[in-house]
Amino acid sequence: MIDDVEELLKAAVHEVFNTMLGLPIQMEEQYVPVQSDEPSIAGAVGFIGDLTGVVYVYAPLTLAKAMTAKLAGMELDEIDEDEITNDSIGELTNMIVGHFKSRLSDRGNSCVTTIPSIVRGTNFCIEPISTAVRRVFSFRSGDNQLVAEVMLKQEENSN
Amino acid sequence: MGRKILTVDDSKTIRMIVTRAFKDFDIDMHEAENGVEGLAVASRENPDLIILDYTMPIMDGFEMLTKLKSDPDLKSIPVIMLSAEAGRENVMKIAKQGVRDYLIKPFKEDLIVERVGRIIDLKPKGETNEKAKRYDDPLKILVVDDKPAIVDQIAAGLDDTPWKVEGTSSTGLAMDHCFKHIPDSILISVSLPENGAFTLFQMLRAGNRTKSIPVFALSVKTAAEEQARAQQVGFTGIVTKPIDFEEVKVKITRALNLDTSYKYFTQKDGMLIMKLPSNFTPSISNDIMLHLRNQVTSAVDSGLDKLIIDMSQIKTADITLIKLGLSSLQLSNELALKSSIIGSAAVSHECKNYEETKDWRFVATYADALAALGVSQTAAAA
Repeated sequence: MIDDVEELLKAAVHEVFNTMLGLPIQMEEQYVPVQSDEPSIAGAVGFIGDLTGVVYVYAPLTLAKAMTAKLAGMELDEIDEDEITNDSIGELTNMIVGHFKSRLSDRGNSCVTTIPSIVRGTNFCIEPISTAVRRVFSFRSGDNQLVAEVMLKQEENSN
Repeated sequence: MGRKILTVDDSKTIRMIVTRAFKDFDIDMHEAENGVEGLAVASRENPDLIILDYTMPIMDGFEMLTKLKSDPDLKSIPVIMLSAEAGRENVMKIAKQGVRDYLIKPFKEDLIVERVGRIIDLKPKGETNEKAKRYDDPLKILVVDDKPAIVDQIAAGLDDTPWKVEGTSSTGLAMDHCFKHIPDSILISVSLPENGAFTLFQMLRAGNRTKSIPVFALSVKTAAEEQARAQQVGFTGIVTKPIDFEEVKVKITRALNLDTSYKYFTQKDGMLIMKLPSNFTPSISNDIMLHLRNQVTSAVDSGLDKLIIDMSQIKTADITLIKLGLSSLQLSNELALKSSIIGSAAVSHECKNYEETKDWRFVATYADALAALGVSQTAAAA
């Protein structure tokens, strides 16, 4: 199951970017953290049940605003409030995780998701507790990096 | 009057996307950010359709849907559920609650327009100058049932309307009929042999001249599977047997967006008069509320500045009457109209028992209402 994570998450990110944003996105071979002083936004959605975990999707502010503009049908210079960017990233994370979790559920691992939450900051990192399995995937959209991170804990009675 | 859609989603972005999807149509959009607010807006606005998100804080979509379906005034509003979760279990859970359709996020705007268009008639902006049909127009209702007794029963049940009910007994005859005389609405028995109801429905939806006709499935109350299938394929609604004809009239009125305002509103002597009928019910109150704002603002635009609320036919004050009275007076105050209420001594006395209505002043007759509004009988007659 854990081995399917990459395939399912990649499919989810592509589906959301194609359908809702019309932006190109490619998964990179390897995740290489980028050090930058540019602020980032991370959307987080958890899931609990046969599989328990959380998915973070984080992007630099430049990419986050571009995604917001596409999603909300606004011009970049119209996005001057944090609220709309937070909301957009939260909703996109919700869609990515919903897609990802649905495929996991169809394979016999039923769970429910949480509502999204947002973290904003500069040069932050999110670390799992030792019992969680962590997978980090890097995507590129134009010149910007989008990171999707899955932390998973498999319950004993699931597939 | 354009259609009303209520979008309920905790994401402001999704609400913007849904609103934007219908920008080229004559749609009055309303929004709510959780189930509690959604129920309040639905009660107030009586939308033609609700687009409802599944996962929300405070009250989620599933709970809101359950409450909608248990409210007699709201249960017939069709609901399209939005969810980010496409899992089989989730979809089955949603479908069992009686949603008309569901959409999985992410979705294209065209798709939501298409799905909504299967349920309500979407008119492009600017194309609504065509005169709206009225409840008292001689509408043509086609009933497709292989039991003549059912056709006769429906004709008898609707004989207090000017609507003409005709019947056919098969899919083929129904299509021939539609080719010659396009009906305004169609009721099809789901027990037609060989899946006839669903075949006929697909044929109607495929025809240019018939694709927008509201089509209702006629089904016995206990045939849950057939009803679920009818909802899934896109029938406008379900009419269960034994038939409640008042409900049928409401469903057809709503589906065809029939103008019923003339039943309750008139302009006379330079005033707007809202007259409540003797058979005043919550359903009639909803009907009046649908037209209230338009009628009052239209009156103000015409230069009228007085409103008479005629409750003389009402025998007893109840919560429905009070709510309507409060809404009318609030709107009247907003638009700076002078108002007067005609009502019986009994209703006046009952209203004194409620905090919200204890200050209402009733007059006994129309002449008294004119006097209260400072309009002389001579001026009125002129």
